[in-house]
This record gives sequence, C-alpha cells and structure tokens, in this order.
Amino acid sequence: MLLSIEPDGPVPIYQQIRDRIVEAIADGAQPAGSGLPSIRQLAVDLGVNFHTVNKSYDLLRQEGLLRISRKSGAVVQRDPGSGPPDPGWVRDWTGRARTLLAEAAAQGMSAQDIIHHSQAALADFSFPAGEGAA
Amino acid sequence: MSASSLATVVIVPFFGALLWVTPAITRPTLQFGVRIPGDRAGAPVIRRERRAYYWRTAAIGVCFTITAVLVQGHASWWLGRIILVLELAADLGCYQIARKNIAAVKNAEDWFAGLRQMVATDTSWRTDPPHFPVCWLLPALTVIAVTVIVGAVRYPDLPARMVVGFGGSSAGHQAPKSVVSVFALAVGQLYVTALWTGLMLIVYRSRPDIESADAASSTRRYRMYLAAFTRAVLTLIALVNLTLLLAALRTWQVYRLTGIASGLPLLPFIAGLLIIAIVAVRTGQGGSRLSAGSSGHASNALPRIGPARLSRVSPGPARDARLSRVGVGGGPSGGSKRASRLPGESPGQSPEGGADRDDDRFWKAGLIYVNRDDPAIMVGNRFGVGWTFNFANRTAWLVLAGIVAAPAGLAAIMAAAGL
Repeated sequence: MLLSIEPDGPVPIYQQIRDRIVEAIADGAQPAGSGLPSIRQLAVDLGVNFHTVNKSYDLLRQEGLLRISRKSGAVVQRDPGSGPPDPGWVRDWTGRARTLLAEAAAQGMSAQDIIHHSQAALADFSFPAGEGAA
Repeated sequence: MSASSLATVVIVPFFGALLWVTPAITRPTLQFGVRIPGDRAGAPVIRRERRAYYWRTAAIGVCFTITAVLVQGHASWWLGRIILVLELAADLGCYQIARKNIAAVKNAEDWFAGLRQMVATDTSWRTDPPHFPVCWLLPALTVIAVTVIVGAVRYPDLPARMVVGFGGSSAGHQAPKSVVSVFALAVGQLYVTALWTGLMLIVYRSRPDIESADAASSTRRYRMYLAAFTRAVLTLIALVNLTLLLAALRTWQVYRLTGIASGLPLLPFIAGLLIIAIVAVRTGQGGSRLSAGSSGHASNALPRIGPARLSRVSPGPARDARLSRVGVGGGPSGGSKRASRLPGESPGQSPEGGADRDDDRFWKAGLIYVNRDDPAIMVGNRFGVGWTFNFANRTAWLVLAGIVAAPAGLAAIMAAAGL
C-alpha cells in the first residue's frame, strides 16, 4: 500500500493516516489479516512524530478495524468481507453520513449529483461478490 | 612517487570529477539542495546555475589536479591533504552560490503556491522489507581472515622491531613487535567493515527516498538503487581490506616495493572508489536515473493510497491486482495501475497538482538535516548520492559518537603499545 499525506494541509495528520488506512481496507488493498508497519516504522517513513501515528492506530483500534499486539504487530481486523457491523455502529455512522450529505445539500449540490458522487466512491470499494455498488 | 603522493594525485581529480557530476545524479526536484516542483526543473535560473557550476567546478578540479601533480614528491605528505580540503571547500562554495541564487528565485516567485505538498510511503517497505545482501560481505570477511592467518604465521619470524603503518617503507616509523603492532591493520579492516556494514544496516531500516507524486515507480527504483549501492559499498569494503592486507604483507616483509610501485597496494582502494562512482552515476540519487519498468519486484502491484485517483478499476474480486489512489480530500476516485510517469507529467509533480513537500527549512546550508519532528536516524543526501544523519536525532549522535570513539580508542591502545 502506498500511503501519502499532506503534512501542512488543513486536516490533522493523525486523521489523514487513519482515513488513508480505512480507504485501503475498503478498496481491498489491506484485507483482514494483513499487516501494517509498526507505529515507529510508519512514523519514520512519514517523517512524523510517533504519537501522531499512535493516535491514528488507536482510533482504528477503537473502531474495531485494527488489532495491535506485541507478537504480531498491527493487523487489519475487519474488511468488507467480514460480515455486517454492529447495529450500534451503523446508527452512529448513519448520523455522520447524514451530516455529510447535508453539507452537500447545503452547498447546493443536487440529489442527482450527490448520488452520482456516492456511487463513484462506492465503485472503488471491494464488496464481497454479489454486493457491489448499484 | 610515494604511496601518499599517488593517493593525492588520484583522489584530487577523483573528488573533483565526482563533485562536478553531482548535479546530474541528484533528483530533478532537488536542485542544489533546493526543493522545487517537478515542472520547474527547466527554469532559466536552474539552467543558468547548473551551467555556471559545471564551469566553475571543472576549472577548480583542473587547477587543483595540476597543483597536486606539481607538488608531489617535493613537499610534505600533509600538503596533499590540504590541497584536497581546499578543493572540496571551493566546490562547496560553488554549490552554495547556486543554492542561494535558485532559492532566491524560488521564494520570490513562490513556486509551491497552489500546490499540495505531499509525503508518501510504501508500507510494503516494512511488511516486505528488502534483504541485506549478507553474502556480499563474505569477500571482506575472507580478506580479514586471510590477514589474521598470514599475520599469525609470520609472527614468529618477524624481527623484534618492525616498520609499522600504512607506508611500510624502511624509513617509516618503527615499533617493538607485539600483537597490537603486528595486527594493527587487521584491526583497521575490522573497523572499516563494522562501520560501513553498520551504517548500511541503519540505511536498510531507514525510510525509502520516495517521490510522493510518483510513489509506485520511485519505490521500485529506490529498491534497485539500494540493492546496487549496498553491493558497491560491500565491494568497496572488501577492496579497502585488500589494500590493508597488501600494506600488512609489506610490514610483515612478505614483499618489498620501492618508488612508484610502493603505491600498488592502493590500487584495490582506487578500484573500489571507481565502482562506487560508476554505480552512483548509473543509478542517481535514490534511483532517480533508473528505469522503473525493469524490476520484477512485488511492489509492481502496489495499491496507492493518496491524492485523487487517475482512472477506474471495477469493484469485485480482482483485489489482488488492484492499484488504487484515494483522494486526500475524498475527491472523485478510481484505481490506477501507474508503473511510471504519465506522458507530459514532470517528475516530482502529480497531475492533480501535488508535489513533494518543500522541506528546505530542515536543511541547514542545504547539506545538514535537522528535524526534531522526524524520528529518522538517516535520510537521503540532499546533494549527491548516499545518506546523511538527522542531526536532531539523539540516536544519530550516539552513532556518530561511536564512529569517532572507536578509532580514538584504537589509537589510544596503539599509542600505549608504542605505535
């Protein structure tokens, strides 16, 4: 996986790292069971502080996407083929998705455009066979 | 001509030529230590400064080489060192002039305005790391073993007082026979081998020098560069050890050479320097002069997570060959099997308007890397090939202290032994 961030960009670096890894999991680049570099290694490779990468990994761990152990390091725990998520998580995500869609509507995007962009994004993700984006 | 004179006459033009060619082997996005966007590599100020640098350093190299040839045999051994230091200082001055002029135009015209400045990494560098070519260390270790064995065989027959040091001439410094005096050059071999092997091992654990806008192919090129450069360094170590073995054989009175022939033990060392120079010119810094398409490494099929994607891949089960690029801002996306630069795309700049991060502020005088937020111990050189330390890193200082302390300790032991 090639991972790039914008260190001087408006989004915090830890958030960018977390987002890139989530996207890699979604598009199949990092399937469940695949390893990620250690916190120290990724910090060296991106030239950022250890604590920044630690914060990203911790977020992913809390979200259930990453498992971190001393023996096997950082390993992806869930991917699109891991089955449906927890109902509580779906409720939370629905709220966030609603806010995101509201931002688009508030900025004047048409429903058609919003659907088009959503489908384009979904087209890149790696859904299990028969569950591809419509 | 003594061995010392020969070394000066060879090394002065060698370093002159190496510094002359250095702008050509540095990344196009790093011009005289100044980070620039890829599309500025042909800017008038850069063309002008490169031309001026080539003329200046060529003139300096020729002048100092002529001086080294003229004074050889007529002056003390230290004059050769002074000539070399002055040549390096003069070339460094040329570098600083070019750097200052390019940086002034870059800042005045704000070359990075409107560009997203990116940093990229390849996680397979850690999950599928390159392997250190241990077998290439065998020649160096074999030469050390031969040195120790020959020394042990010769030891009983050596006189009570013997000529020591690299020169080995009958007029050289004499010292009483002891284990330290007899095996001093073998200790030198061990030091050289341990030092360079240790440094290369640190480099293997350091981050790869990747162009963020062209991460997939620049990662492949870096792997090829690291493999080639490491082999060249390990070959150089073996040849340096061979030079020390030949010098040791002379102090052990296995053979005797006079006049210009006394410089023959230096030939392996000179050959090693030439090998390093050839590899550097062929690969360029970080593999920037290599073709990305010739490697069969697994990272050919790397997915890319970064700025907006270039084209689409269909979703579904073909995840093994997926190469995707995901937008930083979550923009329109699609996959891309992007092995090398696209037509019309400059190195160091992606078609989405991204570029390598402008990191000039972390490079003092364009040569010394000081970045407290960067946990890296070593990073790629700013000018020329190879690596340098991050001088804001404590571990880097510990390594440097070890590099200095080891020979200082050895020198103290040898002084105590009367050497």
